[in-house]
Amino acid sequence: MNTMLKIAIVATSLIVMLIADIPFLPVQMVPDADAIFGVRRRAFATGVVVGASVGAARAASAEQSQQTAAAQQQAAAAQQQAAAAQQQAAAAQQQAALARPPAGPPAAAGTPLPLGSVVAALPGGCTSTPVGGVEYYYCGGNFYRAVFQGNTLVYVTAKP
Amino acid sequence: MNKGYSFTRRIILVVALVMLSLTGWSQLVHAQAASIDPQAEKILRRMTDYLGSLKQFSLRTQVTLEDLLDSGHRIDYDISANVIISRPNQLRAERRGDVIEQTFYYDGKSLTLHSGSEKVYATEPAPGTIEELLDYARESLGLIIPASDLVYRNAFQLLMQDVNFATIVGKAVISGVKCDHLLFSRPGVDFQVWVAEGGRPLPYKYVVTDRVTPARISVSTVMSNWNVAPAMANAGFKFVAPKGTKPITFLRQDKSSGSSR
Repeated sequence: MNTMLKIAIVATSLIVMLIADIPFLPVQMVPDADAIFGVRRRAFATGVVVGASVGAARAASAEQSQQTAAAQQQAAAAQQQAAAAQQQAAAAQQQAALARPPAGPPAAAGTPLPLGSVVAALPGGCTSTPVGGVEYYYCGGNFYRAVFQGNTLVYVTAKP
Repeated sequence: MNKGYSFTRRIILVVALVMLSLTGWSQLVHAQAASIDPQAEKILRRMTDYLGSLKQFSLRTQVTLEDLLDSGHRIDYDISANVIISRPNQLRAERRGDVIEQTFYYDGKSLTLHSGSEKVYATEPAPGTIEELLDYARESLGLIIPASDLVYRNAFQLLMQDVNFATIVGKAVISGVKCDHLLFSRPGVDFQVWVAEGGRPLPYKYVVTDRVTPARISVSTVMSNWNVAPAMANAGFKFVAPKGTKPITFLRQDKSSGSSR
Protein backbone atom coordinates (compact mmCIF):
# COMPACT_ATOMS: atom_id res chain seq x y z
CA MET A 1 0.00 0.00 0.00
CA ASN A 2 2.83 2.26 0.94
CA THR A 3 4.58 1.49 -2.34
CA MET A 4 1.43 2.08 -4.34
CA LEU A 5 0.93 5.46 -2.67
CA LYS A 6 4.50 6.43 -3.43
CA ILE A 7 4.15 5.41 -7.05
CA ALA A 8 0.84 7.20 -7.35
CA ILE A 9 2.34 10.41 -5.94
CA VAL A 10 5.33 10.20 -8.25
CA ALA A 11 3.13 9.48 -11.26
CA THR A 12 0.75 12.34 -10.48
CA SER A 13 3.56 14.81 -9.97
CA LEU A 14 5.16 13.69 -13.22
CA ILE A 15 1.95 14.24 -15.12
CA VAL A 16 1.41 17.62 -13.48
CA MET A 17 4.95 18.66 -14.43
CA LEU A 18 4.40 17.59 -18.00
CA ILE A 19 1.13 19.45 -18.23
CA ALA A 20 2.80 22.60 -16.97
CA ASP A 21 5.45 22.21 -19.68
CA ILE A 22 3.03 22.06 -22.57
CA PRO A 23 1.48 25.42 -23.37
CA PHE A 24 -1.32 24.20 -25.62
CA LEU A 25 -2.66 21.62 -23.20
CA PRO A 26 -4.96 23.84 -21.08
CA VAL A 27 -8.51 22.64 -21.43
CA GLN A 28 -9.81 25.46 -23.64
CA MET A 29 -7.05 24.85 -26.20
CA VAL A 30 -7.70 21.16 -26.68
CA PRO A 31 -10.49 21.63 -29.25
CA ASP A 32 -8.15 23.80 -31.36
CA ALA A 33 -5.44 21.21 -31.34
CA ASP A 34 -8.00 18.59 -32.23
CA ALA A 35 -9.15 20.71 -35.13
CA ILE A 36 -5.62 20.89 -36.50
CA PHE A 37 -5.27 17.16 -36.20
CA GLY A 38 -8.54 16.59 -37.98
CA VAL A 39 -7.71 18.93 -40.85
CA ARG A 40 -4.25 17.45 -41.26
CA ARG A 41 -5.53 13.93 -41.33
CA ARG A 42 -8.13 14.83 -43.94
CA ALA A 43 -5.60 16.76 -46.00
CA PHE A 44 -3.17 13.89 -46.04
CA ALA A 45 -5.87 11.33 -46.64
CA THR A 46 -7.03 13.11 -49.79
CA GLY A 47 -3.49 13.20 -51.09
CA VAL A 48 -2.05 16.06 -53.06
CA VAL A 49 -5.29 17.68 -54.00
CA VAL A 50 -4.78 21.39 -54.10
CA GLY A 51 -8.24 22.11 -52.81
CA ALA A 52 -7.65 20.02 -49.74
CA SER A 53 -4.27 21.55 -49.09
CA VAL A 54 -5.78 24.96 -49.50
CA GLY A 55 -8.44 24.05 -46.98
CA ALA A 56 -5.75 22.85 -44.65
CA ALA A 57 -3.77 26.01 -45.17
CA ARG A 58 -6.75 28.15 -44.43
CA ALA A 59 -7.68 26.22 -41.31
CA ALA A 60 -4.07 26.14 -40.19
CA SER A 61 -3.66 29.85 -40.68
CA ALA A 62 -6.88 30.52 -38.80
CA GLU A 63 -5.74 28.35 -35.92
CA GLN A 64 -2.37 29.98 -35.94
CA SER A 65 -3.72 33.45 -35.73
CA GLN A 66 -5.93 32.37 -32.88
CA GLN A 67 -3.17 30.73 -31.00
CA THR A 68 -0.09 32.82 -31.45
CA ALA A 69 0.55 36.50 -31.19
CA ALA A 70 3.12 36.15 -33.93
CA ALA A 71 0.47 35.10 -36.39
CA GLN A 72 -1.65 38.08 -35.42
CA GLN A 73 1.30 40.32 -36.08
CA GLN A 74 1.73 38.68 -39.43
CA ALA A 75 -1.86 39.30 -40.32
CA ALA A 76 -1.54 42.92 -39.30
CA ALA A 77 1.58 43.29 -41.38
CA ALA A 78 -0.19 41.68 -44.28
CA GLN A 79 -3.00 44.18 -44.11
CA GLN A 80 -0.60 47.04 -43.71
CA GLN A 81 1.65 46.20 -46.59
CA ALA A 82 -0.69 45.44 -49.41
CA ALA A 83 0.91 42.40 -50.90
CA ALA A 84 1.79 42.50 -54.54
CA ALA A 85 -0.24 39.47 -55.40
CA GLN A 86 -3.28 40.69 -53.58
CA GLN A 87 -3.06 43.97 -55.38
CA GLN A 88 -2.77 42.28 -58.69
CA ALA A 89 -5.85 40.25 -57.97
CA ALA A 90 -7.69 43.40 -57.00
CA ALA A 91 -6.49 45.22 -60.08
CA ALA A 92 -7.56 42.32 -62.19
CA GLN A 93 -11.02 42.37 -60.73
CA GLN A 94 -11.20 46.04 -61.39
CA GLN A 95 -10.01 45.47 -64.91
CA ALA A 96 -12.51 42.72 -65.42
CA ALA A 97 -15.24 44.97 -64.12
CA LEU A 98 -14.18 47.59 -66.62
CA ALA A 99 -14.20 45.14 -69.46
CA ARG A 100 -17.85 44.52 -68.83
CA PRO A 101 -20.12 47.11 -70.44
CA PRO A 102 -20.83 49.32 -67.46
CA ALA A 103 -24.28 50.58 -66.70
CA GLY A 104 -23.26 54.11 -67.52
CA PRO A 105 -25.33 57.07 -66.50
CA PRO A 106 -28.15 57.77 -68.92
CA ALA A 107 -26.78 60.21 -71.41
CA ALA A 108 -30.07 61.47 -72.63
CA ALA A 109 -30.00 64.65 -74.62
CA GLY A 110 -29.84 67.78 -72.55
CA THR A 111 -29.06 66.16 -69.20
CA PRO A 112 -25.70 67.43 -67.99
CA LEU A 113 -23.69 64.89 -66.02
CA PRO A 114 -21.54 65.85 -63.05
CA LEU A 115 -17.96 66.64 -64.04
CA GLY A 116 -15.76 63.59 -63.85
CA SER A 117 -18.45 61.08 -64.78
CA VAL A 118 -16.96 58.12 -66.61
CA VAL A 119 -18.67 56.45 -69.54
CA ALA A 120 -17.41 53.46 -71.53
CA ALA A 121 -18.47 54.91 -74.86
CA LEU A 122 -19.50 58.27 -76.21
CA PRO A 123 -23.19 58.80 -76.84
CA GLY A 124 -24.12 59.19 -80.47
CA GLY A 125 -23.81 62.39 -82.45
CA CYS A 126 -20.78 63.94 -80.77
CA THR A 127 -18.83 66.76 -82.34
CA SER A 128 -15.13 66.94 -81.55
CA THR A 129 -13.26 70.13 -80.81
CA PRO A 130 -9.58 70.47 -79.96
CA VAL A 131 -8.95 72.78 -77.03
CA GLY A 132 -5.33 73.40 -76.10
CA GLY A 133 -4.14 70.20 -77.73
CA VAL A 134 -6.82 68.09 -76.09
CA GLU A 135 -9.73 66.71 -78.05
CA TYR A 136 -13.12 67.37 -76.48
CA TYR A 137 -16.33 65.75 -77.61
CA TYR A 138 -19.60 67.57 -77.20
CA CYS A 139 -22.88 65.73 -77.13
CA GLY A 140 -26.02 65.54 -75.05
CA GLY A 141 -25.17 68.73 -73.21
CA ASN A 142 -21.81 67.39 -72.00
CA PHE A 143 -18.18 67.80 -72.94
CA TYR A 144 -16.20 64.55 -72.83
CA ARG A 145 -12.48 63.87 -72.90
CA ALA A 146 -10.83 60.51 -73.65
CA VAL A 147 -8.74 59.00 -70.82
CA PHE A 148 -7.13 55.68 -69.94
CA GLN A 149 -8.74 54.14 -66.91
CA GLY A 150 -6.20 51.43 -66.27
CA ASN A 151 -5.70 49.80 -69.66
CA THR A 152 -9.14 50.77 -70.88
CA LEU A 153 -10.07 53.78 -72.97
CA VAL A 154 -13.05 55.57 -71.41
CA TYR A 155 -14.58 59.01 -71.63
CA VAL A 156 -14.92 61.40 -68.76
CA THR A 157 -17.07 64.51 -68.60
CA ALA A 158 -14.89 67.62 -68.44
CA LYS A 159 -14.86 71.35 -68.79
CA PRO A 160 -12.79 72.57 -71.76
CA MET B 1 3.12 -9.13 -3.13
CA ASN B 2 2.62 -10.43 -6.63
CA LYS B 3 -0.56 -8.44 -6.96
CA GLY B 4 1.21 -5.28 -5.78
CA TYR B 5 4.00 -5.79 -8.29
CA SER B 6 1.57 -6.15 -11.16
CA PHE B 7 -0.23 -2.97 -10.07
CA THR B 8 3.08 -1.11 -9.94
CA ARG B 9 3.91 -2.32 -13.41
CA ARG B 10 0.56 -1.17 -14.68
CA ILE B 11 1.05 2.31 -13.21
CA ILE B 12 4.51 2.59 -14.68
CA LEU B 13 3.14 1.52 -18.03
CA VAL B 14 0.36 4.10 -17.90
CA VAL B 15 2.75 6.86 -16.89
CA ALA B 16 5.15 5.88 -19.66
CA LEU B 17 2.36 5.88 -22.22
CA VAL B 18 1.07 9.25 -21.10
CA MET B 19 4.55 10.74 -21.24
CA LEU B 20 5.19 9.26 -24.65
CA SER B 21 1.95 10.47 -26.11
CA LEU B 22 2.38 13.93 -24.65
CA THR B 23 5.89 14.40 -25.98
CA GLY B 24 4.92 12.92 -29.31
CA TRP B 25 1.91 15.20 -29.53
CA SER B 26 3.88 18.31 -28.66
CA GLN B 27 6.44 17.57 -31.37
CA LEU B 28 3.78 16.81 -33.94
CA VAL B 29 1.78 19.98 -33.32
CA HIS B 30 4.92 22.06 -33.25
CA ALA B 31 6.04 20.67 -36.58
CA GLN B 32 2.68 21.34 -38.21
CA ALA B 33 2.29 24.90 -36.96
CA ALA B 34 4.86 26.07 -39.51
CA SER B 35 3.84 24.02 -42.52
CA ILE B 36 6.28 25.50 -45.00
CA ASP B 37 8.05 22.93 -47.11
CA PRO B 38 11.64 24.20 -47.28
CA GLN B 39 12.04 22.49 -50.64
CA ALA B 40 9.18 24.53 -52.13
CA GLU B 41 10.74 27.66 -50.70
CA LYS B 42 14.09 26.68 -52.18
CA ILE B 43 12.68 26.22 -55.68
CA LEU B 44 10.90 29.58 -55.48
CA ARG B 45 14.13 31.23 -54.38
CA ARG B 46 16.05 29.58 -57.21
CA MET B 47 13.52 30.99 -59.66
CA THR B 48 13.45 34.53 -58.25
CA ASP B 49 17.25 34.61 -57.93
CA TYR B 50 17.65 33.49 -61.52
CA LEU B 51 15.07 35.94 -62.86
CA GLY B 52 16.58 38.71 -60.72
CA SER B 53 20.02 37.97 -62.13
CA LEU B 54 18.89 38.42 -65.73
CA LYS B 55 19.81 41.78 -67.17
CA GLN B 56 17.57 41.45 -70.17
CA PHE B 57 14.82 39.06 -71.05
CA SER B 58 11.70 38.78 -73.11
CA LEU B 59 8.72 36.49 -72.88
CA ARG B 60 5.19 35.97 -74.02
CA THR B 61 2.43 36.11 -71.42
CA GLN B 62 -1.15 34.94 -71.55
CA VAL B 63 -3.11 36.43 -68.67
CA THR B 64 -6.55 35.07 -67.80
CA LEU B 65 -8.71 37.18 -65.52
CA GLU B 66 -11.58 35.26 -64.06
CA ASP B 67 -14.79 37.09 -63.38
CA LEU B 68 -18.13 36.23 -61.92
CA LEU B 69 -21.05 37.89 -63.66
CA ASP B 70 -23.98 39.14 -61.66
CA SER B 71 -25.93 36.34 -63.30
CA GLY B 72 -23.67 33.89 -61.49
CA HIS B 73 -21.79 32.76 -64.59
CA ARG B 74 -18.06 32.42 -64.44
CA ILE B 75 -16.21 33.91 -67.39
CA ASP B 76 -12.58 34.55 -68.35
CA TYR B 77 -10.97 37.55 -69.95
CA ASP B 78 -7.75 36.83 -71.80
CA ILE B 79 -4.93 39.21 -72.52
CA SER B 80 -1.83 38.17 -74.43
CA ALA B 81 1.28 40.27 -74.33
CA ASN B 82 4.89 40.24 -75.41
CA VAL B 83 7.08 41.70 -72.71
CA ILE B 84 10.70 42.78 -73.01
CA ILE B 85 12.64 44.03 -70.03
CA SER B 86 16.08 45.53 -69.70
CA ARG B 87 17.10 46.18 -66.13
CA PRO B 88 17.23 48.51 -64.39
CA ASN B 89 14.87 50.90 -66.17
CA GLN B 90 13.47 49.80 -69.50
CA LEU B 91 10.34 47.83 -70.27
CA ARG B 92 7.95 47.36 -73.14
CA ALA B 93 4.77 45.32 -73.15
CA GLU B 94 2.70 44.79 -76.28
CA ARG B 95 -0.83 43.57 -76.06
CA ARG B 96 -2.16 42.08 -79.23
CA GLY B 97 -5.64 40.76 -79.58
CA ASP B 98 -8.58 40.74 -81.91
CA VAL B 99 -9.99 43.93 -80.52
CA ILE B 100 -7.15 45.59 -78.71
CA GLU B 101 -3.71 46.63 -79.80
CA GLN B 102 -1.86 48.35 -77.03
CA THR B 103 1.76 49.00 -76.17
CA PHE B 104 3.22 50.10 -72.88
CA TYR B 105 6.58 51.87 -73.02
CA TYR B 106 8.95 52.71 -70.22
CA ASP B 107 12.38 54.18 -70.90
CA GLY B 108 13.50 55.15 -67.39
CA LYS B 109 12.15 58.69 -67.67
CA SER B 110 8.58 58.45 -68.80
CA LEU B 111 5.91 55.87 -69.39
CA THR B 112 3.45 55.76 -72.25
CA LEU B 113 0.38 53.70 -72.97
CA HIS B 114 -0.35 53.72 -76.66
CA SER B 115 -3.50 52.27 -78.13
CA GLY B 116 -2.86 51.66 -81.79
CA SER B 117 -6.41 50.56 -82.46
CA GLU B 118 -7.90 53.67 -80.90
CA LYS B 119 -5.11 55.99 -82.07
CA VAL B 120 -4.52 57.59 -78.68
CA TYR B 121 -1.64 57.63 -76.21
CA ALA B 122 -0.97 58.92 -72.71
CA THR B 123 2.48 59.82 -71.43
CA GLU B 124 3.53 60.55 -67.87
CA PRO B 125 6.81 61.14 -66.09
CA ALA B 126 7.90 57.86 -64.52
CA PRO B 127 10.07 56.79 -61.60
CA GLY B 128 13.66 55.68 -62.18
CA THR B 129 13.53 51.91 -61.78
CA ILE B 130 11.36 49.07 -63.01
CA GLU B 131 10.40 48.21 -59.42
CA GLU B 132 9.16 51.74 -58.71
CA LEU B 133 7.51 51.88 -62.11
CA LEU B 134 5.53 48.70 -61.44
CA ASP B 135 4.35 50.07 -58.10
CA TYR B 136 3.38 53.38 -59.67
CA ALA B 137 1.67 51.89 -62.70
CA ARG B 138 -0.40 49.56 -60.58
CA GLU B 139 -1.25 51.82 -57.68
CA SER B 140 -1.67 55.22 -59.32
CA LEU B 141 -2.68 54.36 -62.85
CA GLY B 142 -4.36 50.98 -62.39
CA LEU B 143 -2.36 49.38 -65.19
CA ILE B 144 -1.81 45.65 -65.35
CA ILE B 145 1.67 44.58 -66.30
CA PRO B 146 1.73 40.81 -66.73
CA ALA B 147 3.64 38.72 -64.18
CA SER B 148 5.07 41.85 -62.60
CA ASP B 149 5.12 40.16 -59.16
CA LEU B 150 7.93 37.93 -60.37
CA VAL B 151 9.94 40.70 -62.01
CA TYR B 152 10.77 42.62 -58.84
CA ARG B 153 14.40 42.25 -57.80
CA ASN B 154 13.26 41.41 -54.27
CA ALA B 155 10.47 39.17 -55.58
CA PHE B 156 11.32 36.39 -53.14
CA GLN B 157 10.79 38.59 -50.08
CA LEU B 158 7.60 40.03 -51.56
CA LEU B 159 6.19 36.65 -52.43
CA MET B 160 7.14 34.92 -49.19
CA GLN B 161 5.87 37.74 -46.99
CA ASP B 162 3.34 36.34 -44.51
CA VAL B 163 3.35 32.95 -46.22
CA ASN B 164 2.21 30.34 -43.72
CA PHE B 165 1.86 27.35 -45.99
CA ALA B 166 4.05 26.12 -48.80
CA THR B 167 4.18 22.80 -50.55
CA ILE B 168 5.28 21.09 -53.75
CA VAL B 169 2.13 19.89 -55.45
CA GLY B 170 3.96 17.81 -58.02
CA LYS B 171 5.29 18.01 -61.56
CA ALA B 172 3.56 19.39 -64.63
CA VAL B 173 4.44 20.23 -68.19
CA ILE B 174 3.65 23.85 -69.07
CA SER B 175 4.28 25.17 -72.59
CA GLY B 176 6.24 21.98 -73.26
CA VAL B 177 8.56 22.47 -70.28
CA LYS B 178 8.67 20.16 -67.28
CA CYS B 179 8.04 22.19 -64.15
CA ASP B 180 7.77 21.87 -60.40
CA HIS B 181 4.31 22.93 -59.30
CA LEU B 182 4.42 24.92 -56.05
CA LEU B 183 1.61 26.16 -53.84
CA PHE B 184 1.96 28.98 -51.33
CA SER B 185 -0.62 30.49 -49.05
CA ARG B 186 -0.87 33.58 -46.95
CA PRO B 187 -3.83 35.24 -45.27
CA GLY B 188 -6.37 36.00 -47.99
CA VAL B 189 -4.29 34.89 -50.96
CA ASP B 190 -3.03 31.64 -52.45
CA PHE B 191 -0.56 31.55 -55.25
CA GLN B 192 0.83 28.77 -57.38
CA VAL B 193 4.02 28.92 -59.38
CA TRP B 194 5.29 26.46 -61.96
CA VAL B 195 9.09 26.61 -62.15
CA ALA B 196 11.11 24.86 -64.86
CA GLU B 197 13.40 22.07 -63.75
CA GLY B 198 17.05 22.16 -64.61
CA GLY B 199 19.57 24.87 -65.27
CA ARG B 200 17.15 27.66 -66.20
CA PRO B 201 14.58 27.83 -63.38
CA LEU B 202 12.17 30.16 -65.16
CA PRO B 203 8.53 30.53 -64.18
CA TYR B 204 6.08 29.15 -66.75
CA LYS B 205 2.82 29.70 -64.95
CA TYR B 206 1.66 31.85 -62.07
CA VAL B 207 -1.82 31.75 -60.55
CA VAL B 208 -3.01 34.09 -57.81
CA THR B 209 -6.27 33.24 -56.09
CA ASP B 210 -8.13 35.69 -53.92
CA ARG B 211 -9.49 33.80 -50.93
CA VAL B 212 -11.22 36.76 -49.32
CA THR B 213 -14.30 36.72 -51.52
CA PRO B 214 -16.40 33.56 -51.80
CA ALA B 215 -16.06 33.69 -55.60
CA ARG B 216 -12.36 32.75 -55.30
CA ILE B 217 -11.36 34.75 -58.33
CA SER B 218 -8.02 33.86 -59.87
CA VAL B 219 -5.59 35.63 -62.13
CA SER B 220 -3.56 33.16 -64.20
CA THR B 221 -0.49 33.99 -66.22
CA VAL B 222 1.07 31.46 -68.54
CA MET B 223 4.55 32.43 -69.62
CA SER B 224 6.25 31.12 -72.73
CA ASN B 225 8.85 32.01 -75.36
CA TRP B 226 11.38 32.94 -72.71
CA ASN B 227 14.45 34.57 -74.19
CA VAL B 228 17.20 35.43 -71.72
CA ALA B 229 19.33 37.12 -74.39
CA PRO B 230 16.91 39.09 -76.55
CA ALA B 231 18.06 41.37 -79.36
CA MET B 232 18.20 44.86 -77.91
CA ALA B 233 19.20 46.80 -81.00
CA ASN B 234 15.68 47.77 -82.00
CA ALA B 235 13.94 47.06 -78.71
CA GLY B 236 12.22 50.46 -78.83
CA PHE B 237 11.62 51.39 -75.22
CA LYS B 238 11.08 54.99 -76.21
CA PHE B 239 7.70 55.97 -77.56
CA VAL B 240 7.45 58.06 -80.69
CA ALA B 241 3.90 59.13 -81.43
CA PRO B 242 2.79 57.99 -84.88
CA LYS B 243 1.14 60.58 -87.09
CA GLY B 244 -2.54 61.11 -86.36
CA THR B 245 -2.33 59.77 -82.81
CA LYS B 246 -3.88 61.98 -80.18
CA PRO B 247 -2.54 62.60 -76.69
CA ILE B 248 -4.85 61.85 -73.79
CA THR B 249 -4.26 61.40 -70.06
CA PHE B 250 -4.61 58.72 -67.42
CA LEU B 251 -7.53 58.69 -65.04
CA ARG B 252 -5.68 58.36 -61.77
CA GLN B 253 -6.77 55.73 -59.33
CA ASP B 254 -6.09 57.80 -56.23
CA LYS B 255 -8.55 60.50 -57.31
CA SER B 256 -12.11 59.81 -58.26
CA SER B 257 -12.31 62.45 -60.94
CA GLY B 258 -10.09 63.97 -63.57
CA SER B 259 -6.42 63.37 -64.15
CA SER B 260 -3.30 64.93 -62.73
CA ARG B 261 -3.05 67.38 -65.57
